[in-house]
Amino acid sequence: MERSGDRRAKPQRSSFGLWATVYRSLPRRITSFRAVRLTAIWEAFRVATSSLRSNKLRTALTLMGIVVGVTAVIAVVTIIKGLDKTVAQTFSSQGSTVFTISKNPQIIKSREEFIKFSKRKDVTHEDAEAIGRLCTSCWRVGVAGNATETVKYADQKAENVRIRGVDPTTMFDIDGVTIDSGRIWTEGEGSSGHEICVVGTDILKNLFGGANADRAVGQELRIAGRPYMIVGVLEPLGSIFGFSRDNVVYIPYSTYQKTYGARRSLVVFIQVPTAEQLEAAEDQVRTIMGNRRGRTPGQADDEGYALETQDVFLNLYGSATSNIYIVTIGVAAVSLVVGGIVVMNIMLVSVTERTKEIGIRKAIGARRNDILTQFLIEAVTVTAIGGAIGVGTGFGLAYIISALIGFPLLVSITSAVLGVGVSSVVGIISGLWPAWRAAKLDPIEALRAE
Amino acid sequence: MSDVTIAPSLTESAIKTNIHVNGHDTSMLISMRNIWKTYQMGTESVHALHGVSFDIPKGEYIAIIGPSGSGKSTLMNLIGCLDTPSEGEYWLNGKNVSDMDDDELARIRNQEVGFVFQTFNLLARATALHNVELPLIYGGVGSSQRHEMAKKALAAVDLADRVTHRPNELSGGQRQRVAIARALVNHPSILLADEPTGALDSHTSMEIMDLFERLHSEGNTIIVVTHEHDIAERAHRVVSIRDGLIEKDERIR
Repeated sequence: MERSGDRRAKPQRSSFGLWATVYRSLPRRITSFRAVRLTAIWEAFRVATSSLRSNKLRTALTLMGIVVGVTAVIAVVTIIKGLDKTVAQTFSSQGSTVFTISKNPQIIKSREEFIKFSKRKDVTHEDAEAIGRLCTSCWRVGVAGNATETVKYADQKAENVRIRGVDPTTMFDIDGVTIDSGRIWTEGEGSSGHEICVVGTDILKNLFGGANADRAVGQELRIAGRPYMIVGVLEPLGSIFGFSRDNVVYIPYSTYQKTYGARRSLVVFIQVPTAEQLEAAEDQVRTIMGNRRGRTPGQADDEGYALETQDVFLNLYGSATSNIYIVTIGVAAVSLVVGGIVVMNIMLVSVTERTKEIGIRKAIGARRNDILTQFLIEAVTVTAIGGAIGVGTGFGLAYIISALIGFPLLVSITSAVLGVGVSSVVGIISGLWPAWRAAKLDPIEALRAE
Repeated sequence: MSDVTIAPSLTESAIKTNIHVNGHDTSMLISMRNIWKTYQMGTESVHALHGVSFDIPKGEYIAIIGPSGSGKSTLMNLIGCLDTPSEGEYWLNGKNVSDMDDDELARIRNQEVGFVFQTFNLLARATALHNVELPLIYGGVGSSQRHEMAKKALAAVDLADRVTHRPNELSGGQRQRVAIARALVNHPSILLADEPTGALDSHTSMEIMDLFERLHSEGNTIIVVTHEHDIAERAHRVVSIRDGLIEKDERIR
């Protein structure tokens, strides 16, 4: 009280000059600044919400661009995160301790490669035996061949069932599958071409009407016209990307050979005890295979076989999803920019419409900053609401898609906060110019507006 | 708090001793010295005010009258600190307002001037209470105190029962009284009314003028800008403006 009274009595600029003026005005500026800011910000927020409410259709249309952008990002990020988790779980069931030797790699990138690979010698049972005998770092070695068949039981039939011929029975361990009911065939049965099989749970579902696993054991399936007796049923593995991993029938490799011929190239699976030993085992296997193909590793133009780990899939998956990310972020950026321009346009209209109001506010003491803040808050409120709606619809969309395809929904708080945060920044950027125009309006001119 | 209420103690002591600073009489609430206002119209300079000088002591009820184009509105904008003079000095309540920047002027308007407009200029979407609170919001008054002050101001213009009404739910006279409550809520040095009855019928006009009279008797300094003689004649002093100059300055009661 005393200070301000003192200031009022001496209105003249003192001889201390500018610095003294600044110094004397300092305490007042600082104390009033906070109070004025807070009340003015609250007032700005009230004005913003009431003006948005009174123009509902306009507000909704203004929001649209922001909503679309944020929805796209949130949905894609959530879906990919869910897929990531599924993929990680799936591959860890076989684990990063397994690698394969095959004639062709899983992914052939060009025609030239295809021609090159088709000149290679087949990978044979002898190759697998040599690896099993010579590779000291290898833990389990097995071979597998795949085919797709229609499987019949009585008058029921199931199409596109994966037939997997394996040897020895440790291949079940390498594949990471376990017996739920019944048993695995014995070594003797396995090597003598018996027509017996172990089935996945989809076979129960599709051919036995979802009957108990015990009931299926001992029954006879027909695969490619031959009868196979079921000796065991596997634990379910679930599905990945909508494809069931339980739609499978395991048969002994010797039986597989009888049906599909001995001349088919097979895949050798090698498992090491821990991931740390993977590299050593791979080196040994390269040497063994190099010797068997008569080549020195790294010197010939083709090794004559393909050594792969699951990194191949993970890398392919990673590059596919990162491309999806890039495209989505591009789409989102475009729609946020367009959304921002829409917001800016509407804010300019709003400033023009409310010129009189701005004049009134200025006449009764609103400063430039108060007006600037008011319109900035209005712009940010619009875009933040848009962002929040976008986060909601994005999660909603991801939920629907995840329910349809069948992968877990991972709701990330970070992406929600980011969605609203980025939209708010868009609001600040697009509100700045209109707000500045409002703030610099001349009060006399503004009051004259209708 | 110290920002909101005006501390008159030292100003009043200055009035008593009649200190003269730069030739202006500090005993006066308003002191205008040789005020010019020039507008640039293309290459031509148009003088709206040609060196106007006058003083208004605290507690006066004064009317500024003149035909349109006389410079009356320009003078009102200057008195209300909506604009600054091209030349000359304007002291308001001991402060030289002549060369303040926009934000300083905004603060002066907030603290020292209460505007009453012809068309009321209330915010259409806000309640009477919120309209009256507006100057306090920009003055940084906390919400509970703001409510109380605004309610008191509305009660002072007999609108205690219309607090939650919006302008479109009020009659013209009631709207103008809300505007007067808004003008007074911050206890300004001057109440500056621009054609306050211009949009009202004659009966309501009289009510508003009666209210001004009452506010004057309660110690407020009132400046009414008008072109109507019967409105001007309610004041105690009438200043007539013509062609940017004071034509007549007479005390009528």
